[in-house]
Amino acid sequence: MSTWLVLGVLVTGGAAAVIRYFVSRAFPVGPERLPLGVLIVNVAGSLIGGVVLGLSERAAVSADVQLILLTGVCGGLTTFSTWSVETVELTLTGRRRAGIVNLIGTLLLGFLVCGAGYLLSR
Amino acid sequence: MRLAPGVFLGGMVGTGLRLGIDQALPHADTDFPASTLIANTIGAFILGWLVAGLWTRPGLPAWVKAALGTGVLGSFTTYSAVMVSLVALGAAGFPTLGWIYLAATLLLGFGAAALGLQLGAQLRHRVLPDIPDAGSTL
Repeated sequence: MSTWLVLGVLVTGGAAAVIRYFVSRAFPVGPERLPLGVLIVNVAGSLIGGVVLGLSERAAVSADVQLILLTGVCGGLTTFSTWSVETVELTLTGRRRAGIVNLIGTLLLGFLVCGAGYLLSR
Repeated sequence: MRLAPGVFLGGMVGTGLRLGIDQALPHADTDFPASTLIANTIGAFILGWLVAGLWTRPGLPAWVKAALGTGVLGSFTTYSAVMVSLVALGAAGFPTLGWIYLAATLLLGFGAAALGLQLGAQLRHRVLPDIPDAGSTL
């Protein structure tokens, strides 16, 4: 793996993290609100990931571009740690239903858009 | 806006660590994605520990949360890779492996987040040892 490729993955990963930061700040978690910012970036990243997976299946993207898009862009944009910690916190603070909605909703939306992106682009 | 550079640098570090685990434990689209599972479990534990412990310390600079939480741990872990693996496993005719992977991710990942939050909260209640006043002993 070339230095430039590694640098490309790191820089896009860092830039995507900044996008996630601003989207999260635009949707602050409140007493009556779900952590929508993390939901949005996770679903958006899953859609991009599905499209890239489909494109790679018919060799429409090179292995290098695929690594930058999947590991850098999608990996940096989406997060598992914040999703899981916020969901557990919702449950622990008595908002069990909100926690379950955040868990199931993120899973369903993420899988649906990822699968749709894959099927439409392959 | 002033915290964005910290998030960017932290994001590069987290992405680099995840890339390293991916390279150390490579997997094909039809294999069990062990590297993602490991990164997500470790990242969820550490973030939970930080959120319940370090984040509650008064006077903690905002850039530490942004760079370490949003940047490093947010980027070290990934949600999209989980979905991509589930779709890839399903499309390749291995739906059972996909279900096992999903169950393992939820059990280990959310279990690690809960454990981290619990251990971090214990840290919060612990009285910090007095720092000896160097001046008075000299």
